[in-house]
Amino acid sequence: MNGPRVTPDDLMRYLDGELTPEERTRVDTALAASTELQREIAIYRALKADFQELSFHPAVRYTSVWDRVNARVTRPIGWLLVIAGALAWMSYGVYVFATSPTDPWEKLATGAVAIGILILFASVIWERYQEWLRDPYRDVHR
Amino acid sequence: MQPELERELIRKCKAGDARFYEPLVRAYEPTGLRLAIAMMGNTEDAQDALQEAFIKTYDTLHRFDLRRPFGPWFFQILRNQCRDMLRSRKSKFRLELPGTETDGKIEEYPADPERGPERLRQRDDARAVLWRGLERIGPEHREILVLKELEGFRYGEIAQILEIPEGTVASRLYHARHALREALVEMNVEYP
Repeated sequence: MNGPRVTPDDLMRYLDGELTPEERTRVDTALAASTELQREIAIYRALKADFQELSFHPAVRYTSVWDRVNARVTRPIGWLLVIAGALAWMSYGVYVFATSPTDPWEKLATGAVAIGILILFASVIWERYQEWLRDPYRDVHR
Repeated sequence: MQPELERELIRKCKAGDARFYEPLVRAYEPTGLRLAIAMMGNTEDAQDALQEAFIKTYDTLHRFDLRRPFGPWFFQILRNQCRDMLRSRKSKFRLELPGTETDGKIEEYPADPERGPERLRQRDDARAVLWRGLERIGPEHREILVLKELEGFRYGEIAQILEIPEGTVASRLYHARHALREALVEMNVEYP
């Protein structure tokens, strides 16, 4: 090759119109002097043109993701309201129960049942969570 | 979308009003879907990646600098989402041939050599070959080719999306194009 030295990076920037006018002139000069470079650039031009014709139309009927995105981004507000409301009701219930004129033994027994149910419920959830963590097929799509 | 309108929508979203996120999702969905299909290989996984990327983007909007353009930031999140999904056992690049131009159009321009059935079929065939070639190269090559050739991003924008120095974009593109060329040669396709 007799022209100025052209690197593969220069060639890519030439192809993509990312060179300054001076750099472009330098590559043009090198191209005029080298059939090897001309062939190289012709290959990448053809590849580029074919690739640009390749439109990525979905092969299946496509529906916007907006509805699913909307459902997920607004969900935390729903959870927040449910949790806040449930906590308020539970606190009020405990207060009413604790200040009621019921026999202390009845209160203790009812409290024990309620706390027992909560402990059992939490332990089942914890067990399920541990099983899910160990499940080797949890990421497999049906 | 106008940058000023985009900034206004993001401001409203940051204030907690999710209704203003819809125009942003609609505006970036077509480009995002193309990028995701190219990364994942099929519409189903691409749609999942796109959905997760939009949710992650919304969740991290408070960190978004309003002086910067939204597009490259979103595509960066989408690209990372696709890569995470490909790395996990959940999704592998699974090839699904893209929709064809001939679908329902065969009878439209029977006499036009550029848009007639024969030309459309040739283009469909060429697309299928290129698509199969893309399957053979790695995701890092696919993503940069799609950003450049399909979406027409400038080197500076590609650098921002891929989180690489601008100076290495040309080199990454060279390796990607070279890999695709090699893959096509292996498939007995001659260029040009």
